[in-house]
Amino acid sequence: MYDFYLKKRLSPYSGFRQTLRVMKLTALIILLALMQVSAVSLAQKVTLKAKNASLSSIFRQVRQQTGYDFAYGTQDLDAAKPVTIDIKNADLKDALDAIFNGQPLDYTIEDKSVVVSAKQPSLLEKLKSALNLDMIDVQGRVIDEKGMPIPGATVRVKYLTTAVITDKDGRFNLTGLKDKDILIISYVGYLTKEVVVSAKLDDIVLQISSSQLDQITVIAYGTETRRFSVGSTATVTASDIEKQPVSNPLLALEGQVAGLTISPTSGAPGAAVQVQVRGQNSVQSNPNAVNRPYDQPLFVIDGVPFAPQNQNINLGSSLGGTTPRSRYSGLSPFNSINPSDIESITILKDADATSIYGTQGANGVIIITTKKGKPGETNVNLTVNSGVDVATDQVQMLNTSQYLSLRKEALANDGINLATANPLSYPDLFVFDQNKYTNWEKQFVGKTTPNTDAHASVSGGTTSSTYFISGGLTHQDYDFPGDFADNRLTLHSSFHQTGFNGKLSIDFGSDYAYDHNNSSSQPAVTQAVLLPPNLPDLIGPSGNLVWNYKGVDLSSLNLDGYLKEPSDLQSYNLNNFLRIAYQITPDLRIGSTMGYSRLTTNESQQYPAAAQSPSSAYAYAIFANNSFQTINIEPQLDYKHQFGKGLLTALIGGTYKKDITGDSQQQGYGYSNDAFLNSIASATTILASSANTPYKYVAGFARINYVFDQEFIVNLTGRRDGSSNFGPGRQFGNFGSAGLGWIFTQESLFKSIPFFTYGKLSGNYGTSGSDGIAPYQYQAFWEPVPYAIPFQGTAPYKPLNLYNPDYSWDTKKSLNIGLDLGFFHNKLLFNATVYQNRTGDQLTNYNLPIQTGFSSVLENLNAVVQDRGIEFSLTSSNIKTKNFSWTTSFNFASNQNKLISFPGLATSPYAYLYTIGEPVTEINGFKYKDVNPTTGVYEFYTASGATTYSPNDAIKSQGGDLQPIANLAPKFTGGLSNTISYKKFSLYFLLQFAKQTGMNYLASAYGAGAVPGTLTNVPAAILNNMWTKPGDVATVERATSLTYSSAYIGTYYYVESSAAYTDASYIRLKTLSLSYSLPSSFLNKFDIKSCKFYVNAQNLLTFTGYKIGDPENPGSIFNFPLQRTIVCGLSFNF
Amino acid sequence: MKNFIDIKRFTWLMVLFSGLAITSCKKLIEIPVNPVNEIPTSAVFADSTDIMSAVAGIYYNFSTSGSRTITSGAITLDAGLSGDELVPSATAGSAPIQIYSNSILPNNGFASTLWTTAYTSLYQINACLAGISANNTISAALKQQLTGEIEVDRALYYFSLINLYGGVPLVTSTNYLTTESLPRAAVAAVYSQILADLTDAQKKLKPNYPSSGHIRPNLYVADALLAKVYLFMGQWQNAENAAASVINSGLYSLNTDLNTVYLDGSTEAIWQLPAKGTVFATAEAFVLIPSQNLSTPATTVVPTYSLSSYLLNAFEAGDQRLVKWAGKTSVIVNGVATTYYYAYKYKNLRAATAPTEDYMILRLAELYLIRAEAEAQLNNLSAALTDLNMVRTRAGLPNSTAVSQNDVLNAIMHERQIELFCEWGNRWYDLKRTGAINTVLGTEKTNWKSTDAVYPVPLSEIQTNPYLVQNPGY
Repeated sequence: MYDFYLKKRLSPYSGFRQTLRVMKLTALIILLALMQVSAVSLAQKVTLKAKNASLSSIFRQVRQQTGYDFAYGTQDLDAAKPVTIDIKNADLKDALDAIFNGQPLDYTIEDKSVVVSAKQPSLLEKLKSALNLDMIDVQGRVIDEKGMPIPGATVRVKYLTTAVITDKDGRFNLTGLKDKDILIISYVGYLTKEVVVSAKLDDIVLQISSSQLDQITVIAYGTETRRFSVGSTATVTASDIEKQPVSNPLLALEGQVAGLTISPTSGAPGAAVQVQVRGQNSVQSNPNAVNRPYDQPLFVIDGVPFAPQNQNINLGSSLGGTTPRSRYSGLSPFNSINPSDIESITILKDADATSIYGTQGANGVIIITTKKGKPGETNVNLTVNSGVDVATDQVQMLNTSQYLSLRKEALANDGINLATANPLSYPDLFVFDQNKYTNWEKQFVGKTTPNTDAHASVSGGTTSSTYFISGGLTHQDYDFPGDFADNRLTLHSSFHQTGFNGKLSIDFGSDYAYDHNNSSSQPAVTQAVLLPPNLPDLIGPSGNLVWNYKGVDLSSLNLDGYLKEPSDLQSYNLNNFLRIAYQITPDLRIGSTMGYSRLTTNESQQYPAAAQSPSSAYAYAIFANNSFQTINIEPQLDYKHQFGKGLLTALIGGTYKKDITGDSQQQGYGYSNDAFLNSIASATTILASSANTPYKYVAGFARINYVFDQEFIVNLTGRRDGSSNFGPGRQFGNFGSAGLGWIFTQESLFKSIPFFTYGKLSGNYGTSGSDGIAPYQYQAFWEPVPYAIPFQGTAPYKPLNLYNPDYSWDTKKSLNIGLDLGFFHNKLLFNATVYQNRTGDQLTNYNLPIQTGFSSVLENLNAVVQDRGIEFSLTSSNIKTKNFSWTTSFNFASNQNKLISFPGLATSPYAYLYTIGEPVTEINGFKYKDVNPTTGVYEFYTASGATTYSPNDAIKSQGGDLQPIANLAPKFTGGLSNTISYKKFSLYFLLQFAKQTGMNYLASAYGAGAVPGTLTNVPAAILNNMWTKPGDVATVERATSLTYSSAYIGTYYYVESSAAYTDASYIRLKTLSLSYSLPSSFLNKFDIKSCKFYVNAQNLLTFTGYKIGDPENPGSIFNFPLQRTIVCGLSFNF
Repeated sequence: MKNFIDIKRFTWLMVLFSGLAITSCKKLIEIPVNPVNEIPTSAVFADSTDIMSAVAGIYYNFSTSGSRTITSGAITLDAGLSGDELVPSATAGSAPIQIYSNSILPNNGFASTLWTTAYTSLYQINACLAGISANNTISAALKQQLTGEIEVDRALYYFSLINLYGGVPLVTSTNYLTTESLPRAAVAAVYSQILADLTDAQKKLKPNYPSSGHIRPNLYVADALLAKVYLFMGQWQNAENAAASVINSGLYSLNTDLNTVYLDGSTEAIWQLPAKGTVFATAEAFVLIPSQNLSTPATTVVPTYSLSSYLLNAFEAGDQRLVKWAGKTSVIVNGVATTYYYAYKYKNLRAATAPTEDYMILRLAELYLIRAEAEAQLNNLSAALTDLNMVRTRAGLPNSTAVSQNDVLNAIMHERQIELFCEWGNRWYDLKRTGAINTVLGTEKTNWKSTDAVYPVPLSEIQTNPYLVQNPGY
């Protein structure tokens, strides 16, 4: 009955219909009063005798006897009671009165018809009701669809201020209600329900909301639903993650969330992934750094900040990356998190969502929630998949004949006479086999490699106690020849227990991961692609490395040696959380989250003498330990109370956080035998270094949220933070935010639009800061020089830094305005958000000329960077029938970055990097002109528009030729995903797109030293585009073999010029997943609840105008290529 | 009513909570006074042990073998390429080839290294001078010795910088607020500072070395460097006096065996420093010795930098220095042999090789040549020839036959070219200070321009200090 009622209420036309019905009823009542008079005069006689007969059968008898028709709605008769009657020769009127006695129906006689309608309350009844003469007390219980009680649900009386919260058994009491009062029962994540009061209510069953609007989202220190949120958050759930065959959970976020940029640094197993929320906030700390900065958000796992955050975990070099401790390459700490153990990942984007994290959340927050047990019978899941990886971009290089003719052309261009040239200078032309051809790319990175992933979980429990335990195994091979792989073991567990009648709740979870990554310690091995195609075999017939070929020393060319110099990294990751909460009163809860996150590594790089050229062979090894630890304690007090129509929730809490980050490295030299390289003890000389970075952080915070009448929302947060990174007197900072929301569809005006079911306008403004700097920079420190041999028995010291005692928090001010719309029962949800962030007082290692002794000093830079953008997201459940369903999700984001102010920019080191009014991601370079048709050398425009071969490497105001040429931040990004299910089949695909500019293949080649004509192979794409003779109009300048020729020097300018950048926009079929669930009738025979067979693919197709290389990682054609992955798997539930 | 109680209780807890938080906040974020492996500047200069470590750091900077610095090989190599001593092989890389072809770009990494490593070391020198001067607990004698020797160190850096770049920022303090915007000082102003440092060092230093070997400067190191500075300034009498003080000290004598000149404990060494590598010895040996010398066959690698024909042709017949100080390798390709010579003054590639070689900064032979030149300029030709012939005799050559002042001066310049080849850029400096550079390199080098005589100020420095002005021609 209640279900029926509910359905009616939510039908798209319900508002309209209700209005109509009220009008009809009013008309009917008037009519009734008039007609009652005329009915008296009827004189038809009726005889009836029946026991428990249906009303309709009685109507039939009356019709037969009188000829009067009955008009009624079948719905109305459903409520009718059986009729027991015994009358003889009664007037029609008397007979009808007897029939309708006690029925919830009324009748009128019109012409020769009896019109039956639902009974209207009499005046007396109305009066009785109005005078409150009939007070009743109500007891009830709120349960979910499984029959489990829902504690904490709000039960409110419509149009009154009375409200209560259900107890632990889901029960509630309300006194002094009137009959026909309506109760509104609501609970987060469930559909709100209205029930008519009666003295004895049945159990009230709440249905889980299928609309995303009411799904519970994890936010900072709590949960919320999108319905009442005034901030900008987005959630990616397990169902989206599991379809992606990736081992790093960050990669599963690609294309899923508007305003979240995910950039893999390479395709190496375990490689680092960059993450950025809503653009770049800060300026570069060091203008001379090769790479621009990249603001990373805060990562929180189950309420505990992830100890390593998104820092690379490797200290030495490996195929994963060249530069340890850099953000741009290396091994990702997130490889220690198994995507299969993740329930959801929430991205907090604006001040409302992040300011509660204060300093830590200035660049956005990413909250990872792991899987937890659910009450119910034991569920065992087993998922196994296996597949292959292959490089996405295979760069076609020159073959031997193309290569040799290019070389000869280069020599001719340089005026070198082959006949008199020194053969040693041109071994490829004089000494190497002129017909031999080796495709080095295929040999080194062309391998198709296997990967395997297995995951098993057991979960279940009761309402007072649940558990979830899972284990995973992941194996991924490197593309390179040799035994290089990444192996991961993970163990996840989570427990929930309640006690003291549900007042006490304890949650505990633990994640452990062991990851073993073994590869080469020489990332330069990826440059093997550049080896001359006619290079002799680098491995001899007996498996030996070839170092000399007919008198030509191959030391610098034998990259196979690099593959025999192993890098081994084992990481151990432990994330623990414990959450204890006690419900002091129904409104008040006290609790604390405690967490410990620790990631340690054990790393070694070995350089055996046997892997090196005998002329300079020297065996040595490096051993390193790296550790990241976070202890986090967050006591918290929660208050929730319904004040009339308003629901107040408040939170007050504190954070104590201690980070202990340290590393130590030992270098061992003087090994007598390569076999000892595994042990530092066998080295005759050991040099060591160690570092330790203490960090403590403390904060108090509060949040007040008030929702009035399900329509108006106010959210306020405030916070005071203290950080040990700042000097005395500057340690504390205050941050806060205010948010407002208005669900305007609660207004009656909108209720008449039937398909428009939800509309919210929200906005917030807030501040956050950053202390993201190293400790102790407010003092000048000295250290013993790492790895130094003592000077005459004395350990040498060196100064570490300049100091500035006056720096403090930087500040970020954010404004966010959102419009949320829901249509067709919220099956279609749309969000549009505009935002503006301004970051000032930037904490920067301000660049100094080296004449000061150092290249930088830490300062609050008085520069303001603005990010302004728009985001759209749309989710739609297009079709849902028994056998077929189709859902679509789309997101789009565009961010515009701008340097608002930078006093003194012109005379600062940043002058050549930044321009006021331009994005901080804008690159200054030279304006490219063309390849001079006469000389065949690149030409550029000077600042004044003249043509030159050698533009001046300084900005315009300093007499140079640098000007803005390219902005590497994407113009817009987004994703489109669709899930289509038909019976047991399900198809999911995710298209990811970006409109952006990137470095082209030629600049990438020049940057790697692959200048056409020198002793290096080059991409075949240069052919037909290259200048060969005077008069040629070409895009690639002439070949040259001389590193000091004007053409060679031209390549340096080219890399710095506008010609180096090209459109790198793309649409990529990021994920394609097809699954088939086996019929349960078949599975039941084997006690299997469900079984699914699936094929998942990643990076399958790319649509792009970008010529050579991967547009997702432009300008890096000679790095470890991104991978295309296809896996097949089976998933069982027992 | 019940509600109000809740609110009251809630408020109380809030007050209690925030009260607790505020009172203990500062305590909660206290971290140790210093990181485990670092100490603040005040602690460094509090006692003699730490001070000695800070000073040891200055010498560590002098001779880092892992990387090229202004004091470890870079001047020898770069000036050798810019001038007419060294020729890079095809595989040497683009930075040295720019230097060799006298077409250095302002972002040339090798050329920038000279500047950056000098100023990094000068910071430590300035910090040590200030820290030692402020310390009142160490003995006056130690204070004097340390101040004196560090002044000599500073003088060497500035002397090298002005000879490479012309005028440079004259930084004598550690306060970045004042040093960050210093423009380039005039060459004369830098020379004044060098003279002030060296003459003050003369007053402070004792004739005996403060530690074992000829490592940390004594009085004669100050004298020797002063002699060289005066010579470059054209103050002949001062140069002669300073050189004489060293030569007459009786502490030094020319090694009779040329093979022992660069060894640790060499009798002719006035100032040398241990090479600090773990694997490799001096930076010069690392770069200049073709690596196949370690193993046989030795016939496959062209030296990265081989000796130029101009230098080889300048050797007189019978000069033992060509035999002892230059290596020879014959590279056979497809049966065709080519002979390359390379500088072989430093012979130890590996740090472990015995006997140990030290990195030579100043030696007696140069002092003889300095005094000879000064005497010749003062027209004391017989004395000049006596000094010149000291060096020639040791090289197995007959006495010089020069007669006129001009001939004697030319003979001395020639002797400097041979005796000091591939050593601290002496040839490059000599060509510049005598004004012969345009004539000599104009004929020997294809692209020579007179503006190539000084290196470009590194691009990064021009960009970070707008008050720096680039040298003409760059």
